[in-house]
Amino acid sequence: MTVNVSLLLFLSLPHHSITIMRWQKSRIALCVGVALLSLGQMSHAADDQRAREIVERVARLSTSKSSIATVEMQVTTENWQRNIAVQIWSLGVDKIRVRISSPREDAGTGVLKVGSDMWYYLPKTDRTVKMPPAMTMSSWMGSHFTLDDLVKASHLARDYSAALSFDGERNGVEVYEITLTPRPEAVVVWGKILLEVRRADSMPTWQRYYDEDGKLVRELTFSDYKTMSGRLIPTRLVMRPLDKTGEQTSIIYKNILFDVPISEEMFSLKNLKR
Amino acid sequence: MSGRILGLAWRNLWRNPRRTFIAMAAIGFGYAMLLFVACLMAGLRQQMIETGTSLVISDIEVHAPGYYPKRSLYQTLGGRQGTDVGALLAAVAADPRVRAVSPRVYGYGLVNATHQSAGAQILGVVPNQEPKVTVLQTRIVKGSYLTEQMPKGIVIGDKFATAIGVGVGSEVILLTQAADGSMGNDLYKIVGIFHTGLDAVDRGLVLMSLASLQELLRLPSIRIHEVAIKLHAITEATAVAKALGGQLSKTVPVQVRAWSELVPELADYVQFNRGITYILFLIFFLLAVIGIVNTMLMAIIERTRELGMLMAVGMRPVQVIGLILAEAAGLAAASLVLGGAIGAPLLWYLQVHGLDLGGAGDDVSLAGVVVGRHWYGAQDFSAYGQAALGLAITALVSALYPALRAARFRPTEALRKV
Repeated sequence: MTVNVSLLLFLSLPHHSITIMRWQKSRIALCVGVALLSLGQMSHAADDQRAREIVERVARLSTSKSSIATVEMQVTTENWQRNIAVQIWSLGVDKIRVRISSPREDAGTGVLKVGSDMWYYLPKTDRTVKMPPAMTMSSWMGSHFTLDDLVKASHLARDYSAALSFDGERNGVEVYEITLTPRPEAVVVWGKILLEVRRADSMPTWQRYYDEDGKLVRELTFSDYKTMSGRLIPTRLVMRPLDKTGEQTSIIYKNILFDVPISEEMFSLKNLKR
Repeated sequence: MSGRILGLAWRNLWRNPRRTFIAMAAIGFGYAMLLFVACLMAGLRQQMIETGTSLVISDIEVHAPGYYPKRSLYQTLGGRQGTDVGALLAAVAADPRVRAVSPRVYGYGLVNATHQSAGAQILGVVPNQEPKVTVLQTRIVKGSYLTEQMPKGIVIGDKFATAIGVGVGSEVILLTQAADGSMGNDLYKIVGIFHTGLDAVDRGLVLMSLASLQELLRLPSIRIHEVAIKLHAITEATAVAKALGGQLSKTVPVQVRAWSELVPELADYVQFNRGITYILFLIFFLLAVIGIVNTMLMAIIERTRELGMLMAVGMRPVQVIGLILAEAAGLAAASLVLGGAIGAPLLWYLQVHGLDLGGAGDDVSLAGVVVGRHWYGAQDFSAYGQAALGLAITALVSALYPALRAARFRPTEALRKV
């Protein structure tokens, strides 16, 4: 979604409520006398433009034409704890390939996801199996993330309207807090998401997911900000489901390369076995 | 009163044999009908309990507390440390009422065939032990049951086979999340296909050897989810479950459930079935009341003179009541004997040959349980006894009104009647 520059100029004052923003938008439209608002922008009329821009900036952290990452996933559930080391390749918006390098039981397992189709290469049986669609969106390898969570920028800006709900100092750090509420037409599972971002460098610090009853369900925290491949990114993500005490998944980016040339061949079923 | 009155009553009954016979035939035939219905209903109950507790659910199942019905992979008997399975099975088998035991492991997995995949419940059993508890091996329609020789052989339901497009000899990959969080996967060969008539089983159950499933799920051999128990007599299920629960809990925390707790729908149906049987009994008793009142009343009116004479020579009203009631009791007893004689061969036939429900030859399933083509009767002696007792009480109660009427006769007037 492109941001309308002229609107941004008018609305660069801080806004704390959707109502004011709506009122100002309509006033501008009247004053200027020009139908600035296209249909698309109308549907996003509830957006706080600056909040929205911050959300998009956070999303851009992990957006790239292609990427190669070495990631460690530490999964703790009620019943077991394990560390999974994976190599992840991504190309464009919908091609992901993963190779599990440890632990031993799963080493050599390959995953290919193209669009909504997902295949697993299983070294034990030397077979490739296709997953049913429902499984492509569920938790990956028993963790608290989906496969897409590891790679893709979220669709927060597309599915939620953003409003700045806090702007100031917290624990000695200047932060913004953005409240994301689902757009009426969006098919999403959360009732509300809160996102805290550091003002200085736009680094996210936490993201809290609430259910439709307004109950905090899970919390994602960001830390260990490092520059990798020329980008400052949080290299440790910890997801904690609050309904299951003690359970959590940490994702640690050991290394990540953005916008490196990767051939389409990497994402073919034939090469998945490699 | 007593002996003399009873003898008098019995003689009175046979002074008009035709009337007594007609009454006896009506009541006796009714009793035979009750036996017939009770036998069929008991047969239906028995068949439903049997099929409901012979395919997957058994007479009694032993689980870790909280395991059933969620069936979480991690809640094995004895918790994460597992338990001495051999000792546990021996402890269960030590009860003389137990006929056979079978250890089991459950899992959920994705079954991948060449073009299709679908989720299924995977049941791990010991191939030569499980058939002593359940009869799934008799429902194999293609191929064969599990064998120790083919540890990677699996048996699946016919509807599931159709859904994922496989047959006997096909290879499939099972994918599951193992107990250590890893991705359990392996290649298996379909050795047999079963048809039980139970949709949920035919559509979503995969059977494999216990050891293979433990390997797939990365569960050590000391971790099992269930001990399935077959009893000599299923009627003892609740009592045995209670006894085993108390006894096994001394060594390992368990929850022992009889089939009626495992499949409450089935237990509800059994209650419902009994209820219907009693309602039929009640309707018949009401009809019997009318018949007996009529017979006895007629007998009294016919014998007004005679009764008047008896009272004139000194029989007290209370003795008259006793006489009439004794006659009714004698009539009922004779009728029951007749009814039993008519009913016995019927009951035998129902038990041995059953009623052929005919039709398309497909299984008839009721309340989620396969009943089969033949409706066999089963002997429910307590119901027969209850019917007999009910009928005897009915006879006495219905004779009460005629008896009271007779007791109020005035000898002088009665003697003048023709």
